Amino acid sequence: MNIKQLAMGTAMALVMTGAAHAEPITVVSWGGSYGEAQDKALFTDASKNSGIEIVRESGASMSKACLQVESGSVTWDLVVTGSGGAAAAAAKGCLEKIDFNVVDVSDFYKNTYTDYCVGSDVFATVMSWNTDKYGEPGSEGAPKSWADFFDVEKFPGTRAYRANNVDGALEPALMADGVPADQVYEVLSTREGKQRAIDKIRKLKPHIAVFWGSGAQQAQLMKDAEVDMTTGWNGRFDNAKKDGAKVGYTFNQALLDYDCFAMPKGAPNKDTAMKFLAEISKPEYQANLPFHITYGPTNKKAYEVTTAPKELIEALPSHPNNVPKMLPVSLEWYAKHREEALEMYMELLSE
Amino acid sequence: MASNNNSGSGHDATALPIHISSLTKKYGDLYALDSVDLEIRSGEFLTLLGPSGSGKTTLLMAIAGFNRPDSGSIRFGEQEVILTPPHQRNVGMVFQSYALFPHMSVAGNIAFPLKLRGVSAGEIEERVTEALETVQLSGLGERGIDQLSGGQRQRVALARAFVFGPRILLMDEPLSALDKKLRERMQIELKILHRKLGVTTVYVTHDQREALTMSDRIAVINHGRLAQVDTPEVIYNHPANAFVADFIGESTMLDLDQDKAGNLTYKGSKISKPPSGGNADGWSLVVRPEHLSIMANGKASTDRTIVFKGTVTETVFQGETAFSIVAIDDDTELLVRFGTGSKAKSTYPQSGEQVSVGLGRDDAILIPREDQP
Amino acid sequence: MTVIDMEKTAQPEQALHAGELQRQQSREQWSLLSLVVPALIVVVLIILIPVGWLFYLSFVGKDGGLSMEHYLKMVQYKSYARTFVTTFQVSVLTTLICILIGYPLSYFLALLPPRWVGIFMLAVLLPFWTSLLVRTYAWLVLLQKNGLLNDFAMQIGLWDSPVKLVHNMTGTLIGMAHIMLPFLVLPLYNAMKKIDRDLMFAAANLGASPVSAFWKVYFPLSLPGMVAGSLIVFVLCLGFYVTPAVLGGGRVIMVATQITAILENQFDWGAASALGVVLLIATLLFLYIAGRLFKFDAALFGKN
Repeated sequence: MNIKQLAMGTAMALVMTGAAHAEPITVVSWGGSYGEAQDKALFTDASKNSGIEIVRESGASMSKACLQVESGSVTWDLVVTGSGGAAAAAAKGCLEKIDFNVVDVSDFYKNTYTDYCVGSDVFATVMSWNTDKYGEPGSEGAPKSWADFFDVEKFPGTRAYRANNVDGALEPALMADGVPADQVYEVLSTREGKQRAIDKIRKLKPHIAVFWGSGAQQAQLMKDAEVDMTTGWNGRFDNAKKDGAKVGYTFNQALLDYDCFAMPKGAPNKDTAMKFLAEISKPEYQANLPFHITYGPTNKKAYEVTTAPKELIEALPSHPNNVPKMLPVSLEWYAKHREEALEMYMELLSE
Repeated sequence: MASNNNSGSGHDATALPIHISSLTKKYGDLYALDSVDLEIRSGEFLTLLGPSGSGKTTLLMAIAGFNRPDSGSIRFGEQEVILTPPHQRNVGMVFQSYALFPHMSVAGNIAFPLKLRGVSAGEIEERVTEALETVQLSGLGERGIDQLSGGQRQRVALARAFVFGPRILLMDEPLSALDKKLRERMQIELKILHRKLGVTTVYVTHDQREALTMSDRIAVINHGRLAQVDTPEVIYNHPANAFVADFIGESTMLDLDQDKAGNLTYKGSKISKPPSGGNADGWSLVVRPEHLSIMANGKASTDRTIVFKGTVTETVFQGETAFSIVAIDDDTELLVRFGTGSKAKSTYPQSGEQVSVGLGRDDAILIPREDQP
Repeated sequence: MTVIDMEKTAQPEQALHAGELQRQQSREQWSLLSLVVPALIVVVLIILIPVGWLFYLSFVGKDGGLSMEHYLKMVQYKSYARTFVTTFQVSVLTTLICILIGYPLSYFLALLPPRWVGIFMLAVLLPFWTSLLVRTYAWLVLLQKNGLLNDFAMQIGLWDSPVKLVHNMTGTLIGMAHIMLPFLVLPLYNAMKKIDRDLMFAAANLGASPVSAFWKVYFPLSLPGMVAGSLIVFVLCLGFYVTPAVLGGGRVIMVATQITAILENQFDWGAASALGVVLLIATLLFLYIAGRLFKFDAALFGKN
């Protein structure tokens, strides 16, 4: 496992705060550009300013966090996770409740925090395509909606779709099948509704050349032009584009979702970690995130203090202009229906 | 495939002569076979004898077809086989390692060549039984190979080699893995079997005693060339050259001078006239230990006996015989072998004793001198 | 050593030192036996206990009580049965491909003069020293739609539009066979090296053509090595995760893939354990049946 450890904290920090004598806390994120962006925008500065020493690890995973909790040997203090993962882990009793007396979420967008996790960034599950094949986003004839994604007559070519995980897999199919965005989760709450989405994907399946398993793979598929159109996370496509990929995407009908920080139950340095979580949730840190990855802040105030240029701000999924185009992911639905949905989706994949 | 399924008796019907001419095989710069010409007679037991690396095995493998000579001819009877692949040569072979198939029973091994020749099941059974009888292994047909002793494996290998009635039988040091007693018994058995089967047999060994015991003729090989081909008696008593003299039996070689009268001398004393018709730069005398006898000190050479004078260095008792080492000058020692019989040990020559050593003039073996030791 | 006094041993009732010698013998046997102890501890600690724990977990339901729900779910959804079929299919096919490629390769290696074997063996073993992930992604780069192989083939006109070589069963099998090949070649080569060259000479001498000598003598003798290698390959394949995940394009779903999906999505140790248990039992069952059909034990241990 690629465990990168960064011990931080300076003499200056020791002088500045009373937290100086606390143990360093272990903060776990994902590898690659996501973790790096958080290091640059959040962790390094927050550690310096708060005087809280941190040990950075990669390989964040809610299942591993739960394993630590269940085996009674918790070493992680703060762990990055998808919102759905946090909800599932919370349901299993793996997470500490967030102390909102310490962490100030008063300026957060609603639905970007729960009792068990605090949003770190907002991202979108979008449809992206090869611009050589279907044109630049917004140009005439370019794909605009999930209906276009599922229409292989209008947009002939190959597709990629999510593998072995149902997160964000069924909603696009229903919207493509004509269900209005605001009714998607209602329809999906019945078995028939789920079946309707599965059937829609089944029709597309012969054209789905690859089922992707990671964000890195989404970017690679577009960079290598292995497929013509795929679902995926908007930040990954922006990075692929920076690397020269002919890729464009639209926020229209995209699924608005967020990543968050959660704390495994029995975290060794719970109080210190809570303080650190409060620190990195402040707008001044989140305001720096867009410079490193096109994921938006969860703290509205970050827009007020950021120095990022206008184009960058407007490209963020959580920008007020973009939010109305999208369908916010329903954690309640995932908490209730994820297991059945996954079984049905796996059945489709294994056909 | 030209097959010959005859088995049984009758020399002429079952044996083939082998004619080898100008057979050459080089490994890099080294001649394993250097233009070898050899006539192996129909039905004879011929032994290829030589030290390791002499080319004897290479020659046998060439006859079997397992290696490809660079040039030359091998004929079985009238048929040229130099280009014939091994499985079509129809010769039996007994390997040094026996090469029994470990995944088959004894009977399976012996039946193997018969099955390949399309012999009917009933006949196979009959012939396997008969072959097992011949090698005295009756009733062991269903045994696995790993359940057999070394001697039994040897017999199975033998049975497998002759069961399909080959007219030529090749054996590559087949007895070398057996202990001395068993080996000596098998030597006699093989000889008897050869007489019974009557097939032309080419036998490879590096053991001169084995060669002398078993062979109709011996072909002594050295450095890829035939040093001498003749009957065991002639090879032993009249070696054609220093190599054969040295390789077969024990011997001491004495370099002889020639005096003005043309007589061959050793340290001034006359040994003999040069052999008639002999044409060599010089001559050596080959002295075999059993041809020498210890005589009372002070005897002189006579018409019948050549006498060497020397000092006994050591006497060694070896059971039915004993030998003394007698130094006849600073750098030459003679080995004198004598029967022990009922002689008391006290009568043996003692170390430091001055003795005369006699050699009958009829036993004096003269060979052309070679510079090589 | 004990020195035996000739006079005293002549009295059988009071055999000299008999008791001590007996004790010495049994001490030696016990100390020999104690050599196995570390291995036994390891087996218990890293095999028996975890497997027992796995069994236990697989019967623990969502509410924490004992339950068959994980096994019932496997019957309820067809994806589980399909995943098992895919897993065994991939494993059998990979093993067959490894045999098809590995047998001639091992044969070639076994015939090669010793100084060349090193070089060729290195070529076979080199993949061992590269990370599994790297090798797998290397195949992706080679085989994908705009990959090296498709580009090259289209340039020289072998085919006109990209052939789908990866993100499917084909790609999975190529990658798996490449990774598994050494596991077949090593035991097979070893078995072939042990076949006495004289046996092939003997077969030829007795009248067998090269082809029939091969099938009647060489092949049966190489069989134990082939069976051993095939078993290693097959069993390793059953638990494979990375290669099918990367090269299968999400279409080749193995049991390991499904276990990961369950863990990552539901943190459900019980369901994952149940899959593991079924895979373990299915594997043992498969090996038992195959063993009865093909007489593995005879081939492996040389019984007749």
